[in-house]
Amino acid sequence: MSTINPDLGFKRKLTRLSGSQLNQCMQCGNCSAVCSLAPTERPFPRKEMIWSGWGLKDKLMGNVDIWLCHQCGDCSTYCPRDVKPADVISAIRQTSYQHYARPLFLGKLVSNPVWLPLAIAIPVVVIIAILFLAGTFKIPPGPVDYSAFFPHGLLNGTFSAITLFFYLLASFGIGRFWKDMKIQTPPGEAGRKRLPVFRVLREILSHSNFSGCGSRTPGKVAHLLLFFGFTLLIMVTLYAIWATVTHHYPLPITNPFKILGNLASVMIFSGLGIMTWQRLFNKSVFGKSAYTDWLILAAIALLTLSGTLVQLARFGDWSIAYHLYFFHLVAVWFVIMYMPFTKLGHIFYRTTALLYARSIGRK
Amino acid sequence: MMEAGEIHMALAVCSGCDIGQAIDIDKLTDAASEAKEGLSCIKHNTLCSEAGLAELKRLVLEKGVDRLAVAACSPRVMSREFEMDGVQVERINLREQVAWVMEPGQEDTQMCAEDQTRMVLAKLDTIKDGTPYIPDQLSSDILVVGGGIAGLSSALGGARAGYRVHLVERSARLGGYAGRIYKMLPDSENAATLKEPDLHDTVKELEEHPGVEVYLETSIKSISGEPGNFIVSLENSRVSELQVGAVVSATGWKPYNTEKLAPLGYGSERVKTLEEFEQFVQKEQIPDRILFILCAGSRDENHLAYCSSYCCSAALKQALYVRELNPHAEVYIIYRDIRTTGFQEEFYKMVQADDAILMTKGVIESVSDQGDAVKVIVSESLLDDRVCINADLVVLATGMVPNTTSDLQLQYRLGKGLPEIEYDFSDSHFICFPYETRRTGIFAAGTVRAPMDMELSREDGAGAMMKAIQCIESVKRGEAVHPRAGDISWPELYMERCTDCKRCTEECPFGSYDETEKGTPLPNPARCRRCGICIGSCPERVIGFADFNINSVSAMIKAVHVPDEFEEKPRILVFVCENDAYPALDTAGINRLQYSPFVRIIPVRCLGSINKVWISDALSHGYDGILQIGCKPGDDYQCHFIHGSELTEQRGVNLKETLETMMLEPERIQTRFVEITEHREIQEIINEYVEEMELIGPNPFKSM
Repeated sequence: MSTINPDLGFKRKLTRLSGSQLNQCMQCGNCSAVCSLAPTERPFPRKEMIWSGWGLKDKLMGNVDIWLCHQCGDCSTYCPRDVKPADVISAIRQTSYQHYARPLFLGKLVSNPVWLPLAIAIPVVVIIAILFLAGTFKIPPGPVDYSAFFPHGLLNGTFSAITLFFYLLASFGIGRFWKDMKIQTPPGEAGRKRLPVFRVLREILSHSNFSGCGSRTPGKVAHLLLFFGFTLLIMVTLYAIWATVTHHYPLPITNPFKILGNLASVMIFSGLGIMTWQRLFNKSVFGKSAYTDWLILAAIALLTLSGTLVQLARFGDWSIAYHLYFFHLVAVWFVIMYMPFTKLGHIFYRTTALLYARSIGRK
Repeated sequence: MMEAGEIHMALAVCSGCDIGQAIDIDKLTDAASEAKEGLSCIKHNTLCSEAGLAELKRLVLEKGVDRLAVAACSPRVMSREFEMDGVQVERINLREQVAWVMEPGQEDTQMCAEDQTRMVLAKLDTIKDGTPYIPDQLSSDILVVGGGIAGLSSALGGARAGYRVHLVERSARLGGYAGRIYKMLPDSENAATLKEPDLHDTVKELEEHPGVEVYLETSIKSISGEPGNFIVSLENSRVSELQVGAVVSATGWKPYNTEKLAPLGYGSERVKTLEEFEQFVQKEQIPDRILFILCAGSRDENHLAYCSSYCCSAALKQALYVRELNPHAEVYIIYRDIRTTGFQEEFYKMVQADDAILMTKGVIESVSDQGDAVKVIVSESLLDDRVCINADLVVLATGMVPNTTSDLQLQYRLGKGLPEIEYDFSDSHFICFPYETRRTGIFAAGTVRAPMDMELSREDGAGAMMKAIQCIESVKRGEAVHPRAGDISWPELYMERCTDCKRCTEECPFGSYDETEKGTPLPNPARCRRCGICIGSCPERVIGFADFNINSVSAMIKAVHVPDEFEEKPRILVFVCENDAYPALDTAGINRLQYSPFVRIIPVRCLGSINKVWISDALSHGYDGILQIGCKPGDDYQCHFIHGSELTEQRGVNLKETLETMMLEPERIQTRFVEITEHREIQEIINEYVEEMELIGPNPFKSM
């Protein structure tokens, strides 16, 4: 038996983030009936809706199901009271990023526009500090050569170290998330199996769960473009890091990896375009877009745009090349370092939840 | 009775609506003329047309007709058309009950039509012109008992309509429960805001109205008499006796017995009922966590089995008080179903919009005061299978229990109060006749007759007042109040032959008869519903109405020509209750549902009015069987006269014994019950019964 501790502050936060009138949910269960994920014995998201209405934060934070949801929007489409379960689930996830963020401050930093100047100032100050220490904090003379501004070894070394540091911090939150999941959804009689890593990987790569729902087909395409665009970019980046050591760097435009990288940019731009379009003009399906949604879309867009410009500036020997490069590095920080605390955190949480769910036999 | 020679009888036969095809009209009028000497006859192919009616009126004027038989359609249609001043009109139902249900042109169909005609002619021969009964001392004043919301609305309605109203309230102030509450539920027109209590204006208007007398802290010592002339004795009042024409009983309700609510934590200071909380919010500081338990002791066989209909809305209303008076407070509502019907749905949505009011369906497992908080364990909730919720105060939404009506102190042999039907609520026929009780002229209004909210109570009070006014006006004209509204006949007793057996006084469902110590019946005709159950009850056959009595029905029975046993044409007498069975039979006709032409139908006011002598008359006249079809008996009565059908069943048991001593098969007399919609069933009932009689064989008393 659990004790009910309503947290009206939490409820009001969900209301603010989702725009949903939670009390108007009449618990009819239509959402569960149309949801392709809802297991028979745990009406999802009907239960999550009343828990949200009662402000039961403790029941929602370690909730597996909300992370299995891929936001297809069927529940909102078929809700007779227009309480938008899909938006409520988004809001719960958003709250989770902040709840599990360690230190908590990092969660707040990227979830409230008030903190945006500080969120920008941190990478700016840190990068300047590194450059200052390296003694390269000035526009180098001659043709554009980024390594003259920020030596490759130093860049790769410091950025990798900082990323690892941020991800290490995030792993504490994810550890707590795992514990909470075990309390909220204990393994059944069958117990927990070995982590089904490959199965989960296959699920993620194939986007197989997306096909279960009807409302957001364009969403699947956009996500696929973005997902594989990023995967390509990561591969290209890893190759680039390796290439700085073994090859002549920078790479010429004809290098196959360079071509792949540019292809990835095109994919990301297309995905972003679809997503922005849907968020602006298809609100009935995509629901309310919050600050965090726009922040991450903007960050990715700026990252990709500045990356492309940095490349052009090198070939065209533009005078503002180093400014663009600096800007690009700040954008990298936003997307990569802040990743566990922004909406992109779902890469970690959803993967963790999938691993847990599949290990206890939850389909 | 008039001398036979003074009667000028006429028969008008219509051959329209298939009647002419089914029956030989000339043969019919010949048979009728043979049965009644000096009978004037006219025939017309559309009697109800202007030309037909003109011809009929000409005949009535020319011959000075005072008894007219109209052989055409059912008496349930065209009744105005065939009404004529100073003429007793009886209808012969040739269309619905002969032409449309029997094979046209057949000998048996013709015989049936002729018999039905002879029956009605015989009836016209025996019935008298009635004179209405009007009590000597008539009062148009109306007594309203109970000064709650229903009583106030009733009294004010009566006064506004120009009647003098006496309002008796046992407490020291008017308003009842409605007068003690903090705020009222919104009106249906303006569902979005709680209303300030608005009884003040009503009370003020009432107190200032010259037509209203208010008697506070007054109770009733006795009510005797009959509609139009009730004598009311008051206790503890400046006036000791009133004469009124009708009574509205709006004695209201009381909350469910809290002693039975111990399993829900009642007894702790932190557990209150809706009524207690209504007072609490007006005086005390409201704590931060309030939990409402809906259906507390309601819709539960161990408590109140019914839904009181007001508690959900009242609890939601109080949830709003909590939020208004303590903005930090959280409200938890545990419901089984939220029942905010009609326009109150809007109100429900308004409450829902408050994000600190949290609701879940659930079953209360236990409520225990832990000192610092009340711990409520809820199972089967939407939140989880079993959860614990802590609250600072628990409010139990308890239901309504009707107040007793024995405070009316009615001087009726059937008891001091109104009869109570299910769950102790005052008698009132929910479906057909709300407000009407089994005591004519005494109407129940508000929560004493059914659970209801204030808006409905207000309407109910007004509705009952209209019935009370209607009652007074009917009594003034000497007419029955209901359900035979407008009937001017009434039971007349030939007291010289009465043996004081008390059957009429005991069997009258409406307490029309008082009795002397010796048991002699003292009729109160204005209380009477004109059902004729007393006719059926009287072994000495001393009771009768001018147009419905022992002789008139006996004459109808004997008017039928019964063929002898060798002709293999059985004759079945069917007594049909006029209320539901007769319309059902007409509907069978409209649907052309064919049944046996061997039946001869006599409509009766109620199955309970059937006197044993008619049965023996029929058997000795040679009928092979007697079928009685009436309304369904039982607690949720269909029977318009409460237990007429039941009485017929009881009397049937005695009758069977009599039949056995006569060496007759008891199956020859059967009773069946139908609802007004069961026209298919009534066809089956008749046909199956006739088949059964054909198997049993002819009545051995035939042609004796």
